[in-house]
Amino acid sequence: MSTTSIDFNKTRTFLIDTTKCTGCRGCQVACKQWNQLKAENTHFFSGEGYQNPPAMSEYTFTRIKFKDYQKNGQNEFAFYKEMCMHCNDPACASVCPVGAFRKTAEGPVIYDDKRCIGCRFCMMACPFGVPKYEWSKAFPLVKKCTGCYSRVKNGKEPACATACPTAISYGPRAEMVKEAEKRLKAKPERYFPAIYGKEEAGGTSVLYLTHQPLDELGFKPITKRPLPSYTWQALRFVPGIFLGVGGTLSLVSWFQHRKDRIRKEEEERAAAKADSTKGVNE
Amino acid sequence: MTAAARIVMNEIKGYHNFIKLMMVLVGIGALASLVRFIFGLGVTTNLNDTYPWGLWISFDVVTAVPLAAGAFTIGIVAHVFHIRKLEPLVRPAIVTGFLGYSLVCVGLLLDLGQPQRGINVLRYWNLHSPMFEVSMCVMAYTTVLTLEFLHPVAERFGWHLPLRLLRTLELPFAILAAMISTLHQSTLGTFFLIAVDKLHSLWYNPLLPLQFWLSAIFTGLSIVIFEASLVHKYMGQPDESELLATLTKIIPWIMGVYLCIKLYALAFLTHGPLFDRPVLLALFLAEIGAGVILPMGMFFTRKIKTDKKMQLRAASLVIFGLVLNRFNVSMFGMEQPGQLIYAPSIIESLVTIGIIAAHVLFFVLIAKYFPIFEHHPEATDYTIPDHFHRIEGHESKAGHELRAEG
Repeated sequence: MSTTSIDFNKTRTFLIDTTKCTGCRGCQVACKQWNQLKAENTHFFSGEGYQNPPAMSEYTFTRIKFKDYQKNGQNEFAFYKEMCMHCNDPACASVCPVGAFRKTAEGPVIYDDKRCIGCRFCMMACPFGVPKYEWSKAFPLVKKCTGCYSRVKNGKEPACATACPTAISYGPRAEMVKEAEKRLKAKPERYFPAIYGKEEAGGTSVLYLTHQPLDELGFKPITKRPLPSYTWQALRFVPGIFLGVGGTLSLVSWFQHRKDRIRKEEEERAAAKADSTKGVNE
Repeated sequence: MTAAARIVMNEIKGYHNFIKLMMVLVGIGALASLVRFIFGLGVTTNLNDTYPWGLWISFDVVTAVPLAAGAFTIGIVAHVFHIRKLEPLVRPAIVTGFLGYSLVCVGLLLDLGQPQRGINVLRYWNLHSPMFEVSMCVMAYTTVLTLEFLHPVAERFGWHLPLRLLRTLELPFAILAAMISTLHQSTLGTFFLIAVDKLHSLWYNPLLPLQFWLSAIFTGLSIVIFEASLVHKYMGQPDESELLATLTKIIPWIMGVYLCIKLYALAFLTHGPLFDRPVLLALFLAEIGAGVILPMGMFFTRKIKTDKKMQLRAASLVIFGLVLNRFNVSMFGMEQPGQLIYAPSIIESLVTIGIIAAHVLFFVLIAKYFPIFEHHPEATDYTIPDHFHRIEGHESKAGHELRAEG
């Protein structure tokens, strides 16, 4: 899907300052409520630590990940809100054969479940592992964070951003980037000097500020190039190759058949000649 | 009705036990796919959010498509390059391709969450999606293969007009098949270009589509050798090793180009570490060593022109290499360190075994009831499409063929 007409300075963007996150998980609850998602069985220490549910799923679009670490001999927690990154140029939208995903001018990347054929290419393609599948169903669809498009369209903020008491700011992308840079500059000792999402996957509508180095918190190092450009660099040759192969093979076959025809005609002529000379001799 | 059923039952009773075994496997596979639709993908397969694609995509689609490439490659060689003596190899290859693509469609529909909406691909075009392109091509090419397959069907039932039409279209179809195949064989490689930070650098490089296309071509020709050798060995068909010798001259050069491109990409176009995962490295070396370099060496020897066994062995190695390559790219190379390793469930395996069995079964049955091996150039009048008034001579010929069949 082409996203060239969208002004990425204006797309609504989450700025998530993980240093301000208290781990209350109000966002998780708000998300479940607004999207009417089923509860999941949870277990303490089921996954990598205190976080629950153990992973994002068809029922859980966002969750807070916990990370224990030591600081000055004290045990500390770092939190990281996992959710759809709402890429500027989303891989899911580019690979979907029926164009079920779309980056909206407002910011959220939305999914049309009426079109989806269930091929799961979006799940393969997403560098953040966001789209999840309804594995429990015989005819499953894909589920993912909607960016609360229905709220955003009507001038409201997403449910998680509304519920968050401290860490999430929501607004036009240019402003959010400016705000993040301001915070980095003002308190360099507080932050790891990077804005995750500013350039990742060509820029996303979710920006993170952290205290920990990104990889220690579980942020994947991913390419700065928009992912669709990787497949497009091959796909753009398709019409040319199609016609090129057709043209070349047509020429080759014309040439080969001509050779054959000429050979046959020569043989016939030789045979005719042999016949006529035979007739003269008799 | 009962009489007809009795005839069918008697016919089946006369089959070789191997065919009966294939029928049982197809039946089990069909039941297993029914189970998938009743209970859902999550319960019946080992797929999950970490491994959204499993055996059905890796084998039934990504591997099966290049394995069915024999039809278009031999079509180019025999019709476009006009090496007419290879004509006897074309029809069996088309049957293999037709079956292969039909079963790819079956496998794809099983794997889709919403198979009943498959038609949406035609309604909502997304030109940026490699999956869109492959599904369009597979639909188009399955249609072309069906039309090409109608050739022996029309001959069998003596449908003259379609037969003449199909003969006229033989060459255009061969060219169209090559055009469509070039696109989707390579685009299967494009699929994995989106997996930038997922697919291991041993396989990830921007030339993946080109490699997929080249390997499909030499594997397609190897499949023709493989199938002709087996058909000679087990189905009592004439020995075609002399014709196959022509193919053994073509294959190693394409393999050589493939190997050069692969090594070039490995040396200059990769970005991650290459030797950090010993298991993946072993898989890569097995694919390149046993699946490309060894058979290429065998094809370059002079002995292979006459040695039937060696032809079969080299072709089998090529096929092994291709299957391993497609699994490496679509499954093994995608596994991240520390992740649980995916292994297909019993249902998934039974379905795939059923699909392979269906291929063998339908090939044998089609070969039994349709003239796919008798298509030798000396028995066929190729001038017919150019001279429509010659229908009299053609009619007697078709009648003769029918009598020979009966």
